[in-house]
Amino acid sequence: MSDNSLAHTALIFLGAAIIMVPLVRKLGLSSVIGFILGGIIIGPFGLKLTGNDSADIMEATEFGVIMLLFLVGLEIEPRKFWVIRKKIIGMGLGQMAFTISILFAIFYFAGWRTDKALVAALCFGMSSTAIVLQTLKEKNIFRTDVGEASFSILLFQDIAVIPILAFLPILAKTSESNESQILLQLLPEWLQPFSIILGIAALILLGRYIFVPFLRYVSRSGMNELLTASSLFLVIGVSELMNAVGLSAALGAFIAGVMLATSEFRHELESQIDPFKGLLLAVFFVSVGATINFFVIMEDPMFIFTTTVVVLIVKFAVLMGVGKFFKLKLHQNFLVAFGLSQVGEFAFVLINYSTNLYLLDPKLNAQLMAITAISMCVTPILLIINEKFIEPHTQKTKKEPDELETSEKLQKIIIVGFGHFGSTVGRLLRVNGISATVLDSDSDRVNLLRSKGFKVYFGDASKAGILRSAGAENADLLILCLDNPEKNKFILEYAREHFPQLKIFVRAKNRLDAYDFINNGVDNIYRETLGTAVNMAVDILKATGMRAYAARRLGQRFMVIDKAMTRKLAKEQLKDTVTFTMSEYLDREAELLAEDSHSFDETQWNEYEEYQN
Amino acid sequence: MKKTLAIFAHPYFEYSTTNVELIKAYESSEQLIFKDLYEEYPDFHISTFRERKRIREYERLVFHFPLIWFGLPPLLRLWIDEVFDMSWKAESNHPLMNKDAIIIVTIGAKKENYQKEGLYKTTIEELMKPLSLSLSVTGIEVKEIIAIYDSDDLDENQLKETTERIKKTLKKYE
Repeated sequence: MSDNSLAHTALIFLGAAIIMVPLVRKLGLSSVIGFILGGIIIGPFGLKLTGNDSADIMEATEFGVIMLLFLVGLEIEPRKFWVIRKKIIGMGLGQMAFTISILFAIFYFAGWRTDKALVAALCFGMSSTAIVLQTLKEKNIFRTDVGEASFSILLFQDIAVIPILAFLPILAKTSESNESQILLQLLPEWLQPFSIILGIAALILLGRYIFVPFLRYVSRSGMNELLTASSLFLVIGVSELMNAVGLSAALGAFIAGVMLATSEFRHELESQIDPFKGLLLAVFFVSVGATINFFVIMEDPMFIFTTTVVVLIVKFAVLMGVGKFFKLKLHQNFLVAFGLSQVGEFAFVLINYSTNLYLLDPKLNAQLMAITAISMCVTPILLIINEKFIEPHTQKTKKEPDELETSEKLQKIIIVGFGHFGSTVGRLLRVNGISATVLDSDSDRVNLLRSKGFKVYFGDASKAGILRSAGAENADLLILCLDNPEKNKFILEYAREHFPQLKIFVRAKNRLDAYDFINNGVDNIYRETLGTAVNMAVDILKATGMRAYAARRLGQRFMVIDKAMTRKLAKEQLKDTVTFTMSEYLDREAELLAEDSHSFDETQWNEYEEYQN
Repeated sequence: MKKTLAIFAHPYFEYSTTNVELIKAYESSEQLIFKDLYEEYPDFHISTFRERKRIREYERLVFHFPLIWFGLPPLLRLWIDEVFDMSWKAESNHPLMNKDAIIIVTIGAKKENYQKEGLYKTTIEELMKPLSLSLSVTGIEVKEIIAIYDSDDLDENQLKETTERIKKTLKKYE
């Protein structure tokens, strides 16, 4: 594709989206339908604006998927994995195993060749992360049981792609020679099937020892554009690298995302790429529409439509069964089953990959692609049917409050600024096992704090987007501890406008700032000193549900210990004075604080007595 | 039911298992307001005048607390010190006029320890004397003292029974 035609294609894609989406939204339909319809209209079978070469369009599609999967990967923290591991394995494995075996059986008995039937079944086992995540976000049910169940299944599928990609060459039994796979050819033959594992291992090492230090280096320059550039560079670079070793670029981007999910740049990267996200989704859905090959459909419409219907029914039935086994309520179960019954974008990747391995012939490739695309188009319609006709019957108590269904009952806290003031608050919270998302824009401090086990992310909260990617939409408390009152004020106003549910605690420099905050309608204002930082933390503890008197006791105890520590640190000749306190003292302090002052353990008492002298 | 103010004081309520159950007795009625002193005044700064104004609105007070070193929890003791006024004795229309009271106290030890012949040679009624006397001197009639012994070792059924007993007592003196 030449540069010119890339710009041209982008123009057409965006044009289609801009015109179709508002139109469709006016009719009360999901934006996804608008994108897909737009794609069909501009596609080779509509206005022929995208050119006749469907490879061009697929390239764009794959790039959309790559970026999307990077963002999806970024949202997946290893810790989150662990919390819902039973659901991921149970629901995910159940869904995939049953769907694949039933579909395989059906195709096999319909007279397909065994390997083709198996490949098709594997491809159709996937659901669309893009559509489902978008729908969950639009309906604002990401944190409910429905969201969690859907997410678990999708996650399992995302992971299952890895063994499936490894399995397909074994099924094909061909060592295909492709110029882009020179690196792979260098490996001894017995190692080649393990190339995926090697690729991933290489990625993890690269991530830890090259990418993150590199981002740190870039962030020190203080130029945000450079961060955007380097994150894009990173995603595209990883994809190309994966291509070079013969793996899926989308998978590479996904893993790159997961890899960076634990780094301090997670929220910053998210907010950098966030503006692109909608755009990329649009491109992706439009290209799904544009990829539907109507010639192939018209050639054998019966085959295409019966297969699509069979796939949808099998997936729906399996999902209903799995959901029932995992005790989802009926209306939740319907929503999950309808939502995930389509075939997803990973199928595009798998189908193309299988075709490259000569497992599928070009005709079947086109047919499977069409089935995938059609099933994706059907999803929004199925969801509307569910909402209009099925939900009123399954959901007995109309509009149950959403909070009751959320599985994450813990309060979510965001702290902005982690200098002397913010860290005092954060330490006191941490001692009580309350973790907060912390944003700070000093990359050296972020680095230091992370090495001490704090969950701090690099990011300038006064920039639009970063609060959102730090999770402000679903958070309960926002704690503003920046040194600069103007910045605190700015963020406060932004947050009140965009996230009105947030309860805001703010640090004020002096009485004049306090006036401003009061006039802004803020109740929780803390004029700064050690005392006020502690007071703020005590109030936050109360807001998270701790008993008032217990929080008070902890605050007092914290002050005593903190003062003692400071005295001790001041007396000692420190080798290097770090940002606020030495790490060992932090740990010591945390240990001391972990015991309530209500403790009768004499050794605890002695230890901090010792610090006081 | 009479309009009732339940005054609850427990310095270490977060470690309590018994009282968490027992205070469920106060859940249902609109006639009853439950007030947790340690939650309301964690820094011991009692708003005396607000308290005096508030207790006027009720016909009955319930004092519910654990026995601590044979006496009241410090914040409840302080609350009484700050809210009650000795000069009320002589006044005819003071905040506590024409009310009655129920005392509910949870005790860690066994009942036999609190007998004339027992370990402590003192009864709960005697230990409650400073409170009940303060109440009766200011014109409040103490209807009943519910002592819940062995309170750290009550099983689920006993907890339920005790909760029911509190509910019944609340209804009894209309």
